[in-house]
Amino acid sequence: MQVDSVPQQAVQDIGQLDSADLVVGIIADLSQEDTAEVCDALRTLPGNPRIVVLRNRLASDATPTGSAAPVPDSSVSLIPWSLQNPSSPITPVEGMLAAYQSILTIGERLGARGCCVIASKLEHAPQKWVCQLTAPLLETTCDFIAPSYARRKFEGLLNSSIVSPLTRSLYGLRIQNPMGPDLGISQRLLRRLLDGDHDGKTGGRAMRLLASLVPLVLCGNLQAAQAYLGARSYPPSDWTTVSSLLSEILGPVFLAMEKNAACWQRMRTSSPVKALNEPTPAPQTTGTVEIERLVHSFQLGIRDLQEIWGLILPPASLLELRKLARLPTEQFHIPDELWVRIIYDFALAHRLRTINRDHLLPSLTPLYLGWVASYARELETAEENAIEHRLERLSLAYEIGKPYLVSRWRWPDRFNP
Amino acid sequence: MWGQVKQALYQSTIRFVTRLASLVPGFVALFLALLISLLLAWIVGMVVRRLLSSMRFDERVSRWGLSSLAEWSPQNSPTLLVSGTVVCAIVVAGFLIGIAAFNSDLTSSLVRNIVAYVPNVVGAIVVLAVGAVVARYVARSVLIGAVNLNLGYARLLSVGTRWLVMVLTVAMALVHLRIAVGIVELAFGILFGGIVFALALAVGLGSKELVTKSLERDAKRTPADTVDEPLRHL
Repeated sequence: MQVDSVPQQAVQDIGQLDSADLVVGIIADLSQEDTAEVCDALRTLPGNPRIVVLRNRLASDATPTGSAAPVPDSSVSLIPWSLQNPSSPITPVEGMLAAYQSILTIGERLGARGCCVIASKLEHAPQKWVCQLTAPLLETTCDFIAPSYARRKFEGLLNSSIVSPLTRSLYGLRIQNPMGPDLGISQRLLRRLLDGDHDGKTGGRAMRLLASLVPLVLCGNLQAAQAYLGARSYPPSDWTTVSSLLSEILGPVFLAMEKNAACWQRMRTSSPVKALNEPTPAPQTTGTVEIERLVHSFQLGIRDLQEIWGLILPPASLLELRKLARLPTEQFHIPDELWVRIIYDFALAHRLRTINRDHLLPSLTPLYLGWVASYARELETAEENAIEHRLERLSLAYEIGKPYLVSRWRWPDRFNP
Repeated sequence: MWGQVKQALYQSTIRFVTRLASLVPGFVALFLALLISLLLAWIVGMVVRRLLSSMRFDERVSRWGLSSLAEWSPQNSPTLLVSGTVVCAIVVAGFLIGIAAFNSDLTSSLVRNIVAYVPNVVGAIVVLAVGAVVARYVARSVLIGAVNLNLGYARLLSVGTRWLVMVLTVAMALVHLRIAVGIVELAFGILFGGIVFALALAVGLGSKELVTKSLERDAKRTPADTVDEPLRHL
């Protein structure tokens, strides 16, 4: 059991509990008032389930937790803990991943029928939507509740450009956010999730767990649903860390792809998952994208990384990329078909270890920034509903390109266009 | 007089022929040793190749993260590289055994010296091989990292790094081979320092304008500009 990131006090508090119906982990920075409202909302769940809420303690919290031991009479036990362990300093992302790991393992230890993680800062307070993520786990046979957020042009780009359409094309499930971060999972899925992965560092392992969710649902004949949670507040992006983000996110996705190859190769079409509620339109964010800088990154990659890309991409793709690099910024556009083939070729190179994996995913960065530039140029002045159409077109391109991936995956030496 | 010259020439010829004849068994032994070692090398090479192929050695090597080894191998196959190395080692050993069969002080001491030198050669080869792999890895890391940081001189940095590692490796290999140790140390110091200095100059002078522009841009950029960037990747 991996509870290293949970302080001793919290472990003792959890130890006092025999079991729970639901474990809710709050990783997001929620105030004490909001947390109290989340607990109140959870108390309204039918059947009076026993609920354990693990809450990230904030620096701004007035009272030290000391003994926040569960109250026996209450159906909701609140156990605070700090994500950052002072004895082993880690980055916020690592802390968050370690927290996922702890919440899930505590959920398993308490034999919870469901486990829910609140990780995002959303426009609507979580008390308004936490029941959407938890109730189906207790009332229905649903195993995975994925979040759906209001679409904004330039948010969640890594998910929109690769993770979501790739998951849809591979596993046939149209899920907007296959890796959460807010999510609800059933006991059945939780057990399979934790049984299937025992090695690796905590952070990497937690990311692998998130990347394994959809494959496990599909390959294990489990049920998934999607809950609309409103507009999400995304953490600001630093362009210098894009390459490490790509490695952290896509590495586990490609590993899961390798592990479940037999399963996804059988899938031919995709289908929508059950929507638990209807989305509502959200206002678009403002701001200008520096397309010039993104295109410059792409051109720099074409100039200096061709030797490496030549080991990963077929000559036809390289030729197309070279042509794109010569285009002026106003005409810069990466066709979806090319982008999809690039991602599939990188997935294949990851599997075959064509080059060291430490180099493979960071070398995708200029291509990804090129795609972002192309997408931003296309949608800069587009209407709100154009985003959905644009991403749907991209997802379809992933689905249409799947035979290419399957052929290369099965016969990497023989099939090399 | 002529008779004495004739006698001396006759005796020289006899001595020459006798010496030559005494070498013949040695040559025959060398020939036989080479023949046997070639045969043995062919058999062992084939066995090693088949064994490695059945183990899917090429795939394992790339799975162990040593894909660059394939790039150094004939036909991109580490199996061929290993079996070829085994074949060469057996042939060289056979040749040395054949040389030793001449049974003269010169050849014996030659063989003794060569055999005593073999560990140094093997050590140097290992150092060179490891150095080449490390140089490639580090150079790629620097190249990708620098491109991702939008540095215009990424390739220069990468090449410089590769040369630094290779110079260090070659110097270590030469020291291992005990070849002009003093000169190598001196030359290494000069060359290593020279490359670092050249890189510093090239980057410093070559990108002076770039750095100035970048600093100016950063200085002009207000916190609001940073917040305005609407891209959110994660």
